[in-house]
Amino acid sequence: MNIVVLVKQVPNTTDVKIDPKTGNLIREGVASIINPEDRHGLEAGLQIREKLGGTVTVISMGPPQAMETVCECLAMGADRGILLSDRAFAGADTWATSTALGMAVRKLGEFDLILAGRQAIDGDTAQIGPQVAEFLRIAQLTYVRRLDAQEGKVIAERALEDGCEHIEAPTPVLVTVLGALNKPRHPTVEGILAATSERSPVEVWNAADIGVKVQDVGLAGSLTHVVRTFTPKGARDTRRLEGSATVIAAELLEALRQKEIRLGE
Amino acid sequence: MNKIPRPTPEEMIRKSFARFTDEEIIPKAREMDEADQFPRWMFDKIAKTGAFGIRYPRSVGGAGGNTTQFCIMVEELARGSMSVAAFTAMQCLMGTNFLFEYGTPEQHERLLKPAIRGEKVASFALTEADAATDLANVKTTARPDAEEWVISGSKTWITNAPVADFFTVLCQTDKNKGLRGLDFFLIERDTPGLYVSKKFDKLGTRATEISELAFTDVRIPHENRLGKEGQGVGNLMRILSVIRVMTAALSLGLARAAYDQSARYAMERTQFKKHIGSFQLIQQKIANMATEIWASHLMTYTTAEMIDQGQRPLKEASMAKYYASEVACRCADEATRIFGAYSYSMEYDVQRYYRDCRFLLFGGGTSEILQTIISRECGVS
Ligand SMILES: Cc1cc2nc3c(=O)[nH]c(=O)nc-3n(C[C@H](O)[C@H](O)[C@H](O)COP(=O)(O)OP(=O)(O)OC[C@H]3O[C@@H](n4cnc5c(N)ncnc54)[C@H](O)[C@@H]3O)c2cc1C
Ligand SMILES: Cc1cc2nc3c(=O)[nH]c(=O)nc-3n(C[C@H](O)[C@H](O)[C@H](O)COP(=O)(O)OP(=O)(O)OC[C@H]3O[C@@H](n4cnc5c(N)ncnc54)[C@H](O)[C@@H]3O)c2cc1C
Repeated sequence: MNIVVLVKQVPNTTDVKIDPKTGNLIREGVASIINPEDRHGLEAGLQIREKLGGTVTVISMGPPQAMETVCECLAMGADRGILLSDRAFAGADTWATSTALGMAVRKLGEFDLILAGRQAIDGDTAQIGPQVAEFLRIAQLTYVRRLDAQEGKVIAERALEDGCEHIEAPTPVLVTVLGALNKPRHPTVEGILAATSERSPVEVWNAADIGVKVQDVGLAGSLTHVVRTFTPKGARDTRRLEGSATVIAAELLEALRQKEIRLGE
Repeated sequence: MNKIPRPTPEEMIRKSFARFTDEEIIPKAREMDEADQFPRWMFDKIAKTGAFGIRYPRSVGGAGGNTTQFCIMVEELARGSMSVAAFTAMQCLMGTNFLFEYGTPEQHERLLKPAIRGEKVASFALTEADAATDLANVKTTARPDAEEWVISGSKTWITNAPVADFFTVLCQTDKNKGLRGLDFFLIERDTPGLYVSKKFDKLGTRATEISELAFTDVRIPHENRLGKEGQGVGNLMRILSVIRVMTAALSLGLARAAYDQSARYAMERTQFKKHIGSFQLIQQKIANMATEIWASHLMTYTTAEMIDQGQRPLKEASMAKYYASEVACRCADEATRIFGAYSYSMEYDVQRYYRDCRFLLFGGGTSEILQTIISRECGVS
């Protein structure tokens, strides 16, 4: 099976600070990591390759320092890494990001399975996976917490709010994964030394390489623009309930009723 | 457009083993210490990362890394558990080095490659009851007999002995030649006449197992002498700098763990309505720990780099081991003061650092003998 894994480099914190003046994320002083769910996506890809054979290619779009993320994926066992890096990609919204990722996948040629994280811990939109699938006009399975692959199809369990769904899809297909899917392996020492060597199989592609026009990617190709980023003020109204458990429970129920919060049917 | 530099292997080994330590070791460190036995499951996990082959070439299943990378790796492991770092270092270096350098291709297939894969546990036996700092006094003898060697004597304080599959043992081959009459021998565990004592009860590094070995007419094949006749100690000297700088790296890992916890605690714990880190006497401790750790770091990695450039910096490696191990002990001590009574509780890690740091003072040369060596290297003896 030919597998493509989409990986994003993100700041190592869920507590992202925002520059109040520019509205951009403050990345200084925060170490970068592979988006946590993307490691699970890569692990799934590596396990499927071990079972069925084939190749695992990772693609990441990001600034030059995202090279580290691509190399880490190679050290874990990916066969090939593509870093999409070009000033033209900068300032992309999710639409423009998906366009670039989709074009890069197309350039790779034949593929059976694309794996992505459900959501990135910084951007948090969970839009990239579905958008890339739409761009490539292939089926998508999102929120996958169990995955098995056979030649020609994948069998997945999707976690839904009110249960789960067992589903099969023919390849080619795009799957977005949850952390519960597996336990990612650690890179090996040999893998690290190979991935960081001059001969490691990493390619850097720019806009021209993937055949996109500069106006279709990056800030220019973005359909949305951030007008303002802010932390919602809405100070919380906190009330402390005291007394015995029964008293607290009664007061709590009453408070919920007053706010018209329904407690089941 | 392919000009974007790759991260260095050193950066990536640091980051990768830091994550391994945070995710796999730290959550289990206390449990491993309290279980008081060799955690084979952890040994297996480390094996999966290929750590045991970091110093060895690919031809024997290694990764072809250098001393700097080896030191970074064990430093990060030691930040989580000195026991785990110690048995990893044993497997990467002392326990396998002589087998790698001087073993036969058949021994490499049967023992070295499985050891690098983590299927066999290695051990290294120099110390005897009356030959510790004074190695020239080794009395375990190896006597040739027909096509075999016959080994008699005993060893003590042998890390991994209760669980090891094979031993590299320093024996006397010619008692008239002093240090030139000593050689290393490869002895497998199931060889008749080899007795392994019950494990020692000890203060620290409780997730390693240590015991005595006794050899009663243990017969081993001719090819089990590792190295040319009379060159045992000479060959040991060839890796002594590596052993010492590695021990410095272990020390650095423990010192950092003690420091990290202290710095965090100083900002959390309040007394007199202030966090204790606002008191200048606590600040002094933090400042001194951080400064000495930085000095240890510079000494350790400058020395490791000299080794990677092909030098044999015995003086610098001795200084690094001496200084870094003493710093580890000072940092563990200061951490106990900052934590106050909580350092006395078995529920906090600080007590473990305080016990484990003592291990660093002896292996690879005691501080006293290292000071003697450094002074001699400075021309004063
Ligand atoms: C309205 C809007 C405006 C934005 N404007 C800007 C801007 O001006 N400047 C700016 O820097 N950013 C901007 N961003 C952020 C940027 O577009 C997103 O970070 C990026 O598109 C990925 O979206 P996400 O982080 O929500 O990923 P998600 O959709 O949550 O990620 C899901 C998965 O998609 C894959 N994936 C996501 N991103 C990548 C990638 N780069 N490479 C490979 N795989 C990936 C991963 O597998 C990931 O787990 C904007 C976002 C929005 C919503
Ligand atoms: C946890 C642990 C693991 C070990 N693992 C191994 C192992 O795997 N294999 C192995 O072979 N050994 C091992 N050892 C033994 C270790 O190598 C010895 O402890 C070390 O060589 C020092 O010997 P000693 O402790 O008997 O001290 P001694 O040599 O008895 O020294 C006692 C004291 O006298 C001082 N002293 C001795 N000679 C001099 C001198 N000339 N000048 C000044 N002061 C001097 C020492 O510094 C020390 O303070 C281990 C020890 C420990 C604690």
